[in-house]
Parts: sequence; C-alpha cells; structure tokens
Amino acid sequence: MTHDQHIPQEDLVLYAMQAMQSHELDAVRLHLDSCSECRRALAEVNGDLALVAMGVEQKPLPEGARQRFINRISADASRPLRAANTNVIPIQKAQPQRSAVLWIGWIGWIAAAASFLFAFTLEQKLRKLNDELARQHDVVQQQAAANARAQQVLDILTAPTASRVLLTAGKTKPEPGGRAVYLAETGGLVFQANNLALLAANKTYELWVIPADGRAPIPAGLFRPDSSGSASVVLPPLPKGVPAKAFGVTIEKAEGSTTPTAPIILAGAVPSTGE
Amino acid sequence: MTDLFDRYSSLVYSVALRVLNDPGQAEDVMQDIFFQVWRNPDSFVSGRGSLGAWLAVMARNRAIDALRQRRPTDPVDEVVLATEADFSSDIERSRIMDKVRTVLKHLPREQQNSVELAFFQGLSHSEIAARTGDPLGTVKTRIRSALLTLRKAISA
Repeated sequence: MTHDQHIPQEDLVLYAMQAMQSHELDAVRLHLDSCSECRRALAEVNGDLALVAMGVEQKPLPEGARQRFINRISADASRPLRAANTNVIPIQKAQPQRSAVLWIGWIGWIAAAASFLFAFTLEQKLRKLNDELARQHDVVQQQAAANARAQQVLDILTAPTASRVLLTAGKTKPEPGGRAVYLAETGGLVFQANNLALLAANKTYELWVIPADGRAPIPAGLFRPDSSGSASVVLPPLPKGVPAKAFGVTIEKAEGSTTPTAPIILAGAVPSTGE
Repeated sequence: MTDLFDRYSSLVYSVALRVLNDPGQAEDVMQDIFFQVWRNPDSFVSGRGSLGAWLAVMARNRAIDALRQRRPTDPVDEVVLATEADFSSDIERSRIMDKVRTVLKHLPREQQNSVELAFFQGLSHSEIAARTGDPLGTVKTRIRSALLTLRKAISA
C-alpha cells in the first residue's frame, strides 16, 4: 500500500476490528491520515460492525449496576471540590490551567462579539420586515378605500329608492334606453335601464348577452321596471371568458325564456374599443 | 446522563458480555465506557454517527481489549461511524436488531464462523487462518462478504 494506493476493503475491516498485525498498523494509519476516501470507507465498515454488535441478544444489567454507575459519577462530580481544598499546587498542571483560563476569557469575548453581530443582523432584518409591513398596510388601506367606493356606487345604482332622473334638451318624450357594463373575462355585468314601459303581470323584461363567436344568446337576467320605468341587473350568473358582440332586451313571459322573443326592445353593439 | 445510561447500558453490557462471557468483566467495561462519556462528553459528536452504534462498537472494542488483557488500543474518540440505520428510536433499534440477527443466522456457516472468531473472539486473520486451516485471503473475504451482506440487508 502506498499513498496513491487505497487500503483494500478487507484490510479496513481488519483494522476496524483491531485484528491487524502490529507491523501493518503504522502504514494503514499513515494512509488514513491523508486519505479522506479511505476514512469514509473505514467509517462505513465501523457502521457495519455496529450492526453486528447490535445483533447481540440483549441481557439485563447485573443487579445494582445502575446505582454503582450513579455512585461513581457522583463521586467524580465532587472530586474537583476536594482538589480545591488541598494546599498542594500541581506545578506541571499550572500552565495548562492558566492557558485554559485565558482561553475561556477569549471565548467570552468571542461570544460577546458573536452576540453583538447576531443582534445587529436581527435588528436589520426586523427593520426590513417593519418597512414591508408598513407598505403592505398602505396597500390594504388603498384597496379597502377602493372597495368602499365601488360598493357605494353599486348601492346607489341598485337602490330601489334612488331617484333616477333623465335630463333632456326639451319637452320631448324620453325614449327607453339602457347601459350595460360588461367584463368578459370574469363574466361580470352591470345593466341599468330607464324609461321602460310598464308591463303586464304575466310579462317580464329579459336581458341577453350576444356572444361574439356566433353562439346562441345567453340569458342574463329578468327584470321589471319600477314606477318611473327604471330597472337594473347587477352581476347575473354568467359564464366567464365569453366576449360579447352585443346586448339586447326582450319582453318574455313572467318565468323568462331560454331564447329571445322578438321584437328586441333595446339593443346595443359592443364597440371594438370596449364599452 | 442517567437517561443515556438507561437507554443504552443494556446494549453496551450485552455486547461486552457476548465477548467476555463474564458478567463482572462485562459490567466493568460498560461502567468504564459510560464513565468516559460522563468525563468527556465531547468524545462523541453527532458527526461521528449514531450514538447507539458508536457505543456498541466501543463496547466490542473495549471488551476485546479486556479479553486480550491489553491497554485500550484506540482513544474513544477515534471511532467514526457511517451507517444508514437509525438507532435513536427504541422501536427502530429493536427492528434493526431483529433483522441483523436474522441476516447473521442465514449467512453461510463459514462466514458466520469467521465473523464470530474475528468480531466476538478478537482473533486476527492469521489466527483464524491457523485455526480453520483456510488461506488468509479466504478469511478476509469471508468477513468482508458477511459485512456487505448485512449492510445491504439493513439498507434495503
């Protein structure tokens, strides 16, 4: 075996089991000192030997073994106190003790420095987290304000007691009309109509979404106007992701219909740029 | 420390007893190992492998030293272990012990004999060769093969 040649597995087993001849030991130890691969292989062999040892049938301890061990470590624990009471100062050991004290002193300083560094890092991190928290708080407040405003608009639009007034240029009779706001990607629709004629009890208005891809019109809600001819449909259940070509309103029987019945009372095409 | 003793003392004692076949000597080995751990708790660090496995190997090595009536050959902190087995849980340890016994029991008789002579009786390979009449290389290979079989079975 040389430095370039690894220790054979069989010899590692012998080494781990302390079964190697003494004249071979030095060469193996020398190689192990410089070869991490063989050290790793030796650790694996030791793991195998541990398994063999673990296979031994378990036997109960002799009576009193536990207490004898406790007595032994208790006696050992009190040993330094007895040494402290003696007047004899071991000269040979004075130097290591002193250096040990000095080393312990340095450990204290190193620990203090490490604690300071840790505290500083922690403070920086805390500051960053606080900044982020404040930013998130601002975002939440802005969103809450926007939501409140949107809700307020909806409340006004859908309130049955709201006054709906159409301003015209003269004394011409106001024509029925409606306004639809539609968001295809979410299927959201808000529709408001004015100046609609009142209907018989067995009739209703029905709103339709005319898909851009030529599919059949999709029913988008039944509604009846109030005494002033106003009505609204807010967020009817509609499929998502259906681009609309147009909207229409028809008069249907009271329970509604799955297909629009002529004539179309109101109709509006979706402009190419949006509403 | 008493927790450690309660958990592993039976294992350490049993391994030492298996080697020495003498309860008094086995207890001495067991007491010495735990006392060394008590005096020098840094002798075992987790990077050296499982504590239970480490103690089991220490028990075997110290018992062989006692058997040969020689001074401990290696400081306790020189043994480094690598094993995929988990010895920390009592249940898992018990499972591994059962499996190891089964595997060892089913090894070819020559391999069983070689492991017995080398591991539990502390004979060197030349002593085993002299006793069995087998070539040295054969003795080495048998021990190595037995350990590999065991490693594969436990890793599976």
